[in-house]
Amino acid sequence: MDEIKNLPNFRPNKTPVKKTVKEVIYYVVGIVLSLIFILPILYMLATSTKSESAYAESVGTLSMFLPDFANLGIAFDNYKSVLVNYDIWKYALNSFIYAAIVIVLNILINGLAGYAMAKLTFPGKKLLSFMIIFLIVVPVETSIIPLYSIVKIMLGLKQEMSVIGVILPAAISIFNIFLFMQFFQNIPKEYEEAARMDGANTLDVFFKVIMPLSKPILATVAVFCFIGVWNDYLWPSMILPAADDGSWSLLPIQTALITIKSIEGITTGEIMASLVITSIPIFVTYVAAQKYIVQGFGTSGLKM
Amino acid sequence: MTNTSLIILGLFICAFCGFAVYDLATAKRHKEVYRAKSSITAYLMLLPSVALAFLFILLPILYSLGYAFTDYYLLKPNEIGFVFLDNFAELFKEISEKGMLYNAIINTVTFVVGVVPLQIGLALLLALFVNRPCFGSKIFKVCFFAPVVISLSVTAFLWEQILAPGEGGLLNAMLGMFGVPPHDWLRDPNTAMPCIIVLSAWQGCGYQMLIFLSGLSNIRKDLYEAAALDGANGWHKFWNVTWVGLRSTFVYILITVFIGACRILTQPMLMTGYMSHTVTLSYYMYNLGYTERWVGESSAVALLMTIFIGGVTLIQRRMFREK
Amino acid sequence: MKKLLCSLTSLLLVVIMLFGMTACVGGNPDGTGDGDGTSTDKEGNTIVKIMFHVDKSSTEGQAYQKRIDAFNAAYKDQKIKAQAIFKARSAGASGYETELQNNQLEGTLADIITFDAPNTAAYASAGLLYDISDLISKDEQDKFFSLNMYNGKLYGLPIQESSAGFFYNKKIFREAGIDVGGYTAENPWTFEQFKDVCARLKAHGVTPVDMRLDATKDETAPYLLYPFIYAAGGDFVSSDGYTAKGYYNSAETAKGFQFIKDLITAGYTSYSIGATDFFTGKVGMYLSSGWTIPDLDNKYREQFASRDDWGLLPYPKGAEAASATGSWSYAITNNHHEDKTASLELLKWMTSAESSEAITTATGMIPARRDVVKNYAQGSPEYTLLKQLELSGRERPVTVAYPTFSTTFNQIIYGLGNGNVTDLLNNATNTLQDAMDKVKK
Repeated sequence: MDEIKNLPNFRPNKTPVKKTVKEVIYYVVGIVLSLIFILPILYMLATSTKSESAYAESVGTLSMFLPDFANLGIAFDNYKSVLVNYDIWKYALNSFIYAAIVIVLNILINGLAGYAMAKLTFPGKKLLSFMIIFLIVVPVETSIIPLYSIVKIMLGLKQEMSVIGVILPAAISIFNIFLFMQFFQNIPKEYEEAARMDGANTLDVFFKVIMPLSKPILATVAVFCFIGVWNDYLWPSMILPAADDGSWSLLPIQTALITIKSIEGITTGEIMASLVITSIPIFVTYVAAQKYIVQGFGTSGLKM
Repeated sequence: MTNTSLIILGLFICAFCGFAVYDLATAKRHKEVYRAKSSITAYLMLLPSVALAFLFILLPILYSLGYAFTDYYLLKPNEIGFVFLDNFAELFKEISEKGMLYNAIINTVTFVVGVVPLQIGLALLLALFVNRPCFGSKIFKVCFFAPVVISLSVTAFLWEQILAPGEGGLLNAMLGMFGVPPHDWLRDPNTAMPCIIVLSAWQGCGYQMLIFLSGLSNIRKDLYEAAALDGANGWHKFWNVTWVGLRSTFVYILITVFIGACRILTQPMLMTGYMSHTVTLSYYMYNLGYTERWVGESSAVALLMTIFIGGVTLIQRRMFREK
Repeated sequence: MKKLLCSLTSLLLVVIMLFGMTACVGGNPDGTGDGDGTSTDKEGNTIVKIMFHVDKSSTEGQAYQKRIDAFNAAYKDQKIKAQAIFKARSAGASGYETELQNNQLEGTLADIITFDAPNTAAYASAGLLYDISDLISKDEQDKFFSLNMYNGKLYGLPIQESSAGFFYNKKIFREAGIDVGGYTAENPWTFEQFKDVCARLKAHGVTPVDMRLDATKDETAPYLLYPFIYAAGGDFVSSDGYTAKGYYNSAETAKGFQFIKDLITAGYTSYSIGATDFFTGKVGMYLSSGWTIPDLDNKYREQFASRDDWGLLPYPKGAEAASATGSWSYAITNNHHEDKTASLELLKWMTSAESSEAITTATGMIPARRDVVKNYAQGSPEYTLLKQLELSGRERPVTVAYPTFSTTFNQIIYGLGNGNVTDLLNNATNTLQDAMDKVKK
């Protein structure tokens, strides 16, 4: 509802005909633009319904964006074989569990830090705010080699512990500290002061006053954590032991997908079907939390 | 490694204490009041994040930047020796001889100069476009965000098909209808970077659109009404109200898009491979460090990049800081 | 709400404590019974660790595991026990090598590792691999199609072999009236005959050949195209692997690349051939490795109903015949275990005719040993690949700077369409020479 209230004006000062024409133009432009942006989705969906030959025929023509209506049975087969033969639901469940733990840890750890940085004064704060900016700026491409050594040394050789090696590095995000910090800075002091009058300590204030006021930023961080964990493949594939039959594999979905993609005899249609299935949770999350994300960035003011 | 890490931890704690003491000593001059209880609470709240950030972010970065002064070769991790500035000398030699690194710098600069305005402009236009209360705009908003979350390998393959040379390429086929002869978009040094710029902007702008949208939602409606009363037309309203209201959002987006653009790696990697007309700094770094295994020299590039990005970011902050 | 928050906070604290504990415990990862240079378990078995580059669940991984299990059964009395570690390469080359370097750091390098053949020089010169020249008898060495040699010493034995050739669409060839029945692995066609077939296919109205000029992002193009340069009489690097000047930019090498450029200029091949064009009948020939055989057998029924519809032609020969070889190999590592007896037993077991047979049956690749008899029908694609390998297989250049070679090769192929061969070769030679000088230092 906030959106409507805050809108720049689209005032009904035009004649109805003109208005309708404008609406039509708006929708035509919108649909064309949307098509350009969802081309990859169309391509994924269309390819997931095709046999290998039909796919090969379609590459390089516009029909690569259209499903193979003549043989919809193949679409069914593709999805069935992905779900039944390759067990991707198992890996999806793993990813959900990782994501849930990472989201909780991320919000707690980075939220607390963001709050301390935004609302409390303490000696040494300047160094930490400088570090935040510094760590956002440095390119991290080469640091994966030492990171790998550090995690390996830390965890030792115990394979059961490797899950911690996946979760803990994902639980800290400088960028999220930054977002929290910005958001908390904009919460008026009065809320806290009222609570402190009632004898609440800092932790109470954080959990009972600040957190309930911060739903938008919580949703934003949660969604981006989820997308991050769901799409990450490189790190888990380095840290986790490779899939072992019999026992329950620890691999998350994207890492498993890479392995599945390299299985001999798998068709492009099946690969795309698995990609479609794994994209669904991201879309659902994003659509559901969209409103909060906009608010999360908005109220944080974002001063760099 | 464990020992070095402990030494770094010690140094870090010393540095922190140093800053803390300095803060305490100058508290009066800066009109700051530090209370023991609230400071201790703050430290406790920061402890988990600082511990994790130290281990998993700061320490790896310090190591990788430190490698810049060594001859670290990926296959000989037990024989790392200090070479001081040799790596940098090597890099400057390559620049002066107009080698791959020279191309990488030119291409990265081209990319940044092209993509930053394009991506921000697109994001702003899209944000203004969907910023109205109707059912359609909500759906459009979801669509525009789609490329941000779709797996990069899918979008890269798709763009390869669109930009494919000859008549088989979708873009060439479409232009062919207007009599334009087919063009090899990615192989031609004049069109390769522009193509990569367009596809990167297309891929990323949905995210900045969201941030702009939130900026827009923060602009008070009465400002528009006041402007309308003053007889402002659409353009004036945009310039004097919308743009002014989006200022801090814009600076934030400018800095984040700039940092992201400087690090471009995946697009040229997936679209053309390691070629002189599309190689970028991050790609050069990746190739040097992982493919050719010269971790030390690759880290030297990382260090130079950090200094450059950090410097430009500081300038941007100075320039656009609200007075 | 409050309870939830309290429990979450305590969870957080528990996790952090746990993490602190593991940090302490994990401080010394290489603790157990490993100090004296051998590794034994409680029953006194000598443990030999072997690291594979594939997933255990893959067909290939399963085949390895079965051979390891068989080894353990056979060597029970001698108290040797093999342990397989599967480290999938799916994380990209960097993942596998990061693991290797980390194992070196920790001192946990497996006793035997698998590695891609072109890496022999780099790994051997870095001291990663153990010299097995004197441990494998000359008779035994002669049984392999190729060996992982560096500086005249033997460092590894191949797991299996691969070769490539020109898949062709028999339907198109029949329609165009082209007979290629005489071009066999024993009697390959010449560069001129190759061009002639291309000309006739072009006249027939199809794109003659997909030379995979678009596959320059990874090792595909170098692997498929390097034999042309050897066939033209050219070379890439000196035998010690430290000189490129005079080899990579020699006149013969230029001839090999010029042949490929001629194919482009004449319109026989191009960069714009789609990856699937051969499979949809738009292209007459397709340069690829043996891994395309199962695809053609199973995936493209409409175009290729049976083996009557497609076949495989060998590489054409110029001054000499040359064809692609190379795959992954086994090597004993230079780790802290000084006694290599058990490792050697396992290496011999894994490269035995029996293992070779079992593994190649699972992977569909060519056995690395001459004494593994596969009953391929004469003229079948598998037969052509095997024969070709035996008669003209040549490995990729052995040099520590192999990654740079691969990159420069890709750059030459990428630039061949517009560029001049001599300039491209001179550039590539300089880049490679610089890289070699750097490694030598």
